[in-house]
Amino acid sequence: MTSSRPDHNALAETLKRQVFQGPGVTDPALRQRVAARAAGGPPIEAPYDDLARQIGEAASGTTDAQVADVLAAARSEKAAFEVIAAAATGAAMLRWERAIKALEEARHAPA
Amino acid sequence: MRLPEIDRGDTIAHRLLIGFISMVSGMRLPDAARVAFYHKEFFGTPMGAWTHAAMRGPSPWSVAERELMAAMVAKWNASAFCISAHGAVAAKTMKRQSVDSALADFRSAPISPTLRAALVFLEIMTLRPLELSAEHAAAALRSGVTDDALQDAIAVATVFNIIARYADALDFAMPSADEFDRAATMLLKRGYAA
Repeated sequence: MTSSRPDHNALAETLKRQVFQGPGVTDPALRQRVAARAAGGPPIEAPYDDLARQIGEAASGTTDAQVADVLAAARSEKAAFEVIAAAATGAAMLRWERAIKALEEARHAPA
Repeated sequence: MRLPEIDRGDTIAHRLLIGFISMVSGMRLPDAARVAFYHKEFFGTPMGAWTHAAMRGPSPWSVAERELMAAMVAKWNASAFCISAHGAVAAKTMKRQSVDSALADFRSAPISPTLRAALVFLEIMTLRPLELSAEHAAAALRSGVTDDALQDAIAVATVFNIIARYADALDFAMPSADEFDRAATMLLKRGYAA
């Protein structure tokens, strides 16, 4: 089974590279700021700040107004979708990195 | 807020496909599948690849156990759509009572000790990621979760920390219980690759 196991690190890197750096409607630098904000980073420009923070902290509380404001600023549905995808991915990648770090440290801890 | 382009599809091919699948299945294609088709090169392809590998790839965890982990991550994110969707898939391959018990309180649910230990780790990862430490991982390993199994569980939790968030931000429509059940059959058969 070992040889055919999914390479989660590679799959995570591919997703991160595409969402944070890949071609899209929005500037990759904006997606990176959004992702960092959703992962608990510093405030960014309005209206992206509010939506990114909301998706990072409690996406179930996202309001229509928060998405509508980003849709208006980003000027297309694809752009708004990219912002939402970047925020969701940013929040989750923080969790991936913290969890994998904990596992790696446990592997190397003295018995 | 829902985005109309996701509802209807962003290419003629996707619109036809959404219409065809809805017609054949006799139900509205769930929003989770519509998102998988939307702006696919940007997001659906890499996200689908990782999700399918995590949920259906070789793993010490059964498909049912991974679907239950997904439902638990959805619960911790208060994502009603994902709780129902993945609870329904888990219930296809394990007892519904076990799924419901775990969703109510996984610590006392009739699930394996290793799954329970993994869920303890995933709960902290989801709700308090900055608190995660080597000791939390070591506790899971001491409980019988193997290194590979813990990494697989972390991957499942990561992809569902993404999915639950965009499901709620995009205000996914809630299918009926019967539609969730039918969608679960499709997910078991076809998996997640976009």
